[in-house]
Amino acid sequence: MTAISKEQEQILTERAHSLTRQARLSAAVFSQYSQAQVDRIVKAMTTCAIDNAARLARMAHEETRMGVTEDKVLKNLVASEFLYAQIKDKRTVGVIKELPELNMVEVAEPIGVILGLAPVTNPTSTVIFKSICCAKTRNSIIFSPHLMAAESSNLAAKLIYEAALEAGAPKGFITWVDKSSRLRRLSEILFAHPEVDLIFATGGTQMVRAAYSSGKPALGVGAGNTPVYVHKTANVPSAAMEIIISKTFDNGTECPSEQTLIIDREIVDELISEFRRCGCYICDEAEVEKIADAVIDARTGGMNYRLVGQPANLILEQAGIKVDRHIKMILCPLKGELRLHRLAVEKLMPVLGYVAVDSVEEGINRALDINYGGGTGHTAGIFCEDDGVIERYADAINAGRIIVNSPSSIGGLGGVYNHLNTTLSFGCGTGGGNITTDNVGIKNLLNYKRVPRRKNYVISFQTTKNIYSNPGSIEHLKSLKCKNAFVISSRSASRRGHLSMVKESLPEGCHVDVFSDIGTEPDFPTIQRAVQAMRLSKPDAIIALGGGSVLDAAKIIRLFYDYPELNVQELAVNFLDFHHRMVEFPKDMRTQLVAIPTTSGTGSEVTPFAVLKDGFRKVSMIDECMIPDVAIIDAQFTKSLPREITSDTAFDALTHALESLVSTFSSDYTDGLALEALRLIFEALPETLKNPGSILHRHKLHNAATLAGMAIGNASVGVNHALAHALGARFDIPHGRANGVFLLSTIEYNAQIPSKFVSIPCYPLWVADRKYARAAQFIGLKEEAQAVDSRPQVENPHFAMEGSRGQYDGMVLALRRAVYDLGRLAGQPLSVSELGIDPADYQAALPELVETAFSDMSVRSNPRYCLAPEILQLFQAAYAPRVRP
Amino acid sequence: MSTKKDEAKKSDKKIERVRIMGSLERAVDEIDRLLAGSTDEVEIDFSTCTFIAVEGLEWLEELLLRADSVKRTVRFVNVPPTIYKVFKISHIESLMKAAGGVSSTKLGPAC
Ligand SMILES: [Fe+2]
Repeated sequence: MTAISKEQEQILTERAHSLTRQARLSAAVFSQYSQAQVDRIVKAMTTCAIDNAARLARMAHEETRMGVTEDKVLKNLVASEFLYAQIKDKRTVGVIKELPELNMVEVAEPIGVILGLAPVTNPTSTVIFKSICCAKTRNSIIFSPHLMAAESSNLAAKLIYEAALEAGAPKGFITWVDKSSRLRRLSEILFAHPEVDLIFATGGTQMVRAAYSSGKPALGVGAGNTPVYVHKTANVPSAAMEIIISKTFDNGTECPSEQTLIIDREIVDELISEFRRCGCYICDEAEVEKIADAVIDARTGGMNYRLVGQPANLILEQAGIKVDRHIKMILCPLKGELRLHRLAVEKLMPVLGYVAVDSVEEGINRALDINYGGGTGHTAGIFCEDDGVIERYADAINAGRIIVNSPSSIGGLGGVYNHLNTTLSFGCGTGGGNITTDNVGIKNLLNYKRVPRRKNYVISFQTTKNIYSNPGSIEHLKSLKCKNAFVISSRSASRRGHLSMVKESLPEGCHVDVFSDIGTEPDFPTIQRAVQAMRLSKPDAIIALGGGSVLDAAKIIRLFYDYPELNVQELAVNFLDFHHRMVEFPKDMRTQLVAIPTTSGTGSEVTPFAVLKDGFRKVSMIDECMIPDVAIIDAQFTKSLPREITSDTAFDALTHALESLVSTFSSDYTDGLALEALRLIFEALPETLKNPGSILHRHKLHNAATLAGMAIGNASVGVNHALAHALGARFDIPHGRANGVFLLSTIEYNAQIPSKFVSIPCYPLWVADRKYARAAQFIGLKEEAQAVDSRPQVENPHFAMEGSRGQYDGMVLALRRAVYDLGRLAGQPLSVSELGIDPADYQAALPELVETAFSDMSVRSNPRYCLAPEILQLFQAAYAPRVRP
Repeated sequence: MSTKKDEAKKSDKKIERVRIMGSLERAVDEIDRLLAGSTDEVEIDFSTCTFIAVEGLEWLEELLLRADSVKRTVRFVNVPPTIYKVFKISHIESLMKAAGGVSSTKLGPAC
């Protein structure tokens, strides 16, 4: 190449600016076009290409002296007529795809300015193809043709551009680099030009490499080396004919065309004779060497470019093999180690290697030798009637297109023999150094803008199906369909007379076994012992009789009794969103579970939760299948509850009501339950404490716990429970009492505008403050004027955003005062110090408490995102003895 | 294409406003004349402009160059988004400036 002077370089740079400027303006103007305008232009361009297919084919052949004119006509038609059939109805402007099931649409955005390369092997069809694709996608394109084919490529571009312009396309949307000795240099300048948005490369490896090294987005193609496996089940005469069609198409210039046949030994003779009969030349061993000498460049080991697209007779002549008849194609048996054979490379000419194999395994392995010998990711073929073999072959071979029972070259083009996208650009994936394995086309020439709407969030509500409530409702057990009951309880059940109440209420003749070994914190060995006992007893109903831990244990016992194969560790995996957790529980239970709570607190009789002690930690299991089938809410079981337990458990229920009300998962369904539970607790707890034998108030309290249970069963709890779980575990504090000491702090904390909002789709608006206010209103409280008049009422300044003052502050304060008053009335500890925990011990435990609370699942549904330092502040704020807010 | 002329006098500056109606596909003689005359500022109102062709873009760019050389101001007002986006994609600095926007070719922070 001659050196280019500074002056010439300047001229080329200016030419590059001029080309890209035209393309840039055109791309800008194209952005205004509608789908109808674009489709009209595409139609006009296609018509023009069809009209000129023969003329351009002839010119390409004359200019390049490669291939076969008739085949080039076909390629031009594939690039226009076949392409048009595939893309004419495709949407490429505005909303191009609607995905209603995902609540999303895709909107097209053009790429902009594309630099398109046109190869010497397909100089006109490539230009036709890329021009039409660019018009359809509203991009402008600058063609950089191959020097040896520039005249035909540029004429194709000009003809088709004029047709487009006539149909209303923007001026300058197709331009091209004129033929000159500086064509290559100008193309290089364009590769790096800042106004080029994408390089659409097709052509020799060198050009594709240059495109990639420009640092711009590039659609490239890799080199091919197509193996074709002819399995013994193939239709031999048909396979022979199709391979001839394919390999001789345009004298073998198509890069997906066959390069080496791998033939099952059973059919090799038949296939080779068929080739011979159809006019192919089969070389002997010595002739194979002569052919290799001619078609392989000894210096590079690749094909001899001077013979690309040349007819078989000319190649034979060059190889010094005399033949006096027309030959379609030359077949060379490849002896010895296939991977090292000189002819086991890509030969874009009618020269085809072949080997015989003795099994499918060997066939696939030899195909892989060719596939990975310079053609990774490109194309492969198979002739076979056995779908299993085809699948194994497709699984093994790394090729973007694996053509079945058809010519690999025309098959690879797509649209003629199959439904592949029509293309002249074969993506080879990462195997060929490309970004895609697609038959590159309009799909790859758009930017896709996804417009996702919010997910539809479905609110579901589950609870125990049959609830029997009223003093004396234990009588319902009589109608239970059960022949063999298994009662799970704690040791105190018998002492308090509960066990006999249950036994007497069971249907006549019903056999009863009892497992009364559930302690305050059941662990897995206890569960296993219970399951073991049940295996001997074979019950058809489980009756859980006790407080929260008994009911929780019974849920887990039933689960492992019905499904012994389950793994407790797998079921207890933590999750962020109930709807997307990875744990899978059984769909339904086989043994019915009747829950009879003997405290008014956890609401476990209606929740899907169960907590289990696992060594030093507690694991939570949550699933709909854990919900009991029947709940009996009979206050006769709570009437003898000691004052302290009555109050502790009531404060658990109170916490449930307050936390589910403000939870991010709360809904109209749970709000109603939470509010009514609150009202009942505020009314019935003082009365019950005043008159412990009052069955009426016990009953109301019992109902309150169940209602609050339904609320948390669907809305979950919040940060208060996380704090209480941590404190309870560390200092052995009963659950309800641990909840009580944090309540005044957490209401204050949650009622302040969060320092960090929670990102949960079902919680589009922070409303915790007004929900507390609603609760206050619902239980008949009056707004506390003090809060409105003299802010700040925030006891812990860390909780509030600076200067924040909410319109609901007065009602929130009223609620906190009511909780305080109720706690004092009940003698309930309202701070950590009131539990008798030593300040030094508490201080020392803080890091561990914070860590435990922070990772507790309860914080996930809290309306305020709980930052670790805030959790620390909550623990600290809850220590000092409480004064009335 | 047709244009509609409004005249507004602010202080002692002579400001003319011309509205582009429909497609802008070639030079608008009236604006060329205004620039050649005694007007200090020309406001081109795009509110009723529905399309800009390549020729229209080329004329606008050339108009701004001319205005600059005679120290006059040409401003684009009421540019609808489709037209504003054409300016953005065109990467022509002067068009963006006249439309009161910032250049779209400057590289911002990347992540
Ligand atoms: Fe609780």
